[in-house]
Amino acid sequence: MSDEPRQEVVLITRPAVPGPPNPMDTLREVISTSLGMAAYTASTMASLVEQTVTYAVESSVNAALDRLVPAIADAIVERLDLTDIVLEQVDLNRIVNSALDTLDLTQLVIDRVDIDEIVAQADIDRVIDRVPIIPLANFVIEEIDLPQIIRESTGGVATDAVNAIRVQGVGADQLVSRIADRMLLRRRQRKVEVPGDPESLMGESTRAESPMEEELTREQPADESLMGRMRDDFTSNDRSARITDPTRET
Amino acid sequence: MATFKEYRERPAENPIAVIHANHVLPPGARPIQGQRAGFVSRAIAAGIDVTLIFITVMLTAAALWMLSFIIDPTTAASNEQNRVPDLFIMVAYGYFLNWAYWTICWALSGRTIGNLVMGVRVVSRKGERIGWGGAAVRSAFCAVFPFGLLWVIVSGANRSVQDVVLRTSVIYDWVVGLPTLARVLGRTAYEPERVEDGQ
Repeated sequence: MSDEPRQEVVLITRPAVPGPPNPMDTLREVISTSLGMAAYTASTMASLVEQTVTYAVESSVNAALDRLVPAIADAIVERLDLTDIVLEQVDLNRIVNSALDTLDLTQLVIDRVDIDEIVAQADIDRVIDRVPIIPLANFVIEEIDLPQIIRESTGGVATDAVNAIRVQGVGADQLVSRIADRMLLRRRQRKVEVPGDPESLMGESTRAESPMEEELTREQPADESLMGRMRDDFTSNDRSARITDPTRET
Repeated sequence: MATFKEYRERPAENPIAVIHANHVLPPGARPIQGQRAGFVSRAIAAGIDVTLIFITVMLTAAALWMLSFIIDPTTAASNEQNRVPDLFIMVAYGYFLNWAYWTICWALSGRTIGNLVMGVRVVSRKGERIGWGGAAVRSAFCAVFPFGLLWVIVSGANRSVQDVVLRTSVIYDWVVGLPTLARVLGRTAYEPERVEDGQ
């Protein structure tokens, strides 16, 4: 390629009619085409070689790096206390906070954690030991007034029975009176009115009769927590103040 | 406090009183409260009381009989009849017991157990409780002459002979709830309300 002849471009004016073919021209054309082909081939070859070389070098370098880098990194990490560095250099609070801000932890726990499994493994007995069961039960019984409910329900049955007997008695009374009055040819009504107070029904319309009714009419404090009320109940000595119904017999 | 008449005619003032009035007394019972009771109710009440006294006398006799074996375990044939008191003594004891029982009950609450069951009460002429003296006399009269109760049937005012003589009355006054010892002994829970109403 180094002995390539110098090319010159010569502008030649010729008549429109082609003359006889010049063997020199043909030769020149052949030579120039050959040279062009040669140049193209050379450049293609060069690029091909370059790519091949690059690939070969890269793959060998990569292989070398693959072997070297982990070893070097290991050696570095071995010589450094990463934890200390992180603790000293990194603002962990900020990272954690920003992480927590972006996470919905509750949903995450619900989605990912098997709560049933945790509860199954938890030591419930120890938790229960810490709960004041007896005061709690006493409070519930006190609050719903269980003894009064029992008294009212059993008393209700007995009252129904007694009332039934009394109603029968009154009916029989009136029947006997009617028959006697008819036999005595008495026309006027019996004088059965007596002055006096309805002792057993006193105060019926002025006040609640049972603690349950009292509870219904009593004004409840607006905002009072269960524990607060429990505490008040069990610290107060004056528990009798809550029982104001005189009909309550204990 | 209102009289029975006012009580019967007065409409209940508050919703709780309405609930109470409708549920505590059976329908139809309200209008008769405070009126003199008729023969049947009073007879049943007296019958319950006398039955209780009879049972008490029998239990006493049984107790004495059993006690006699502890005191004198030897069973001589001649001794057999003396283990139980004489019938005369038993009857007298029963009468005394009945008299004491009625006296105490009527003086304290106006109600015996039989009265409580039948919902009647003994009151004086003014509609108050009869005192100890009145209760003792009436009780004795009733025990000695029980047939006086029959006068209720023909009386124009549902009064027995005892009622006419001593000017007492037996009225319907239904106690709501079971007869308890406190009620029989007159320590009814209604006393505080009376004070309240007096104010």
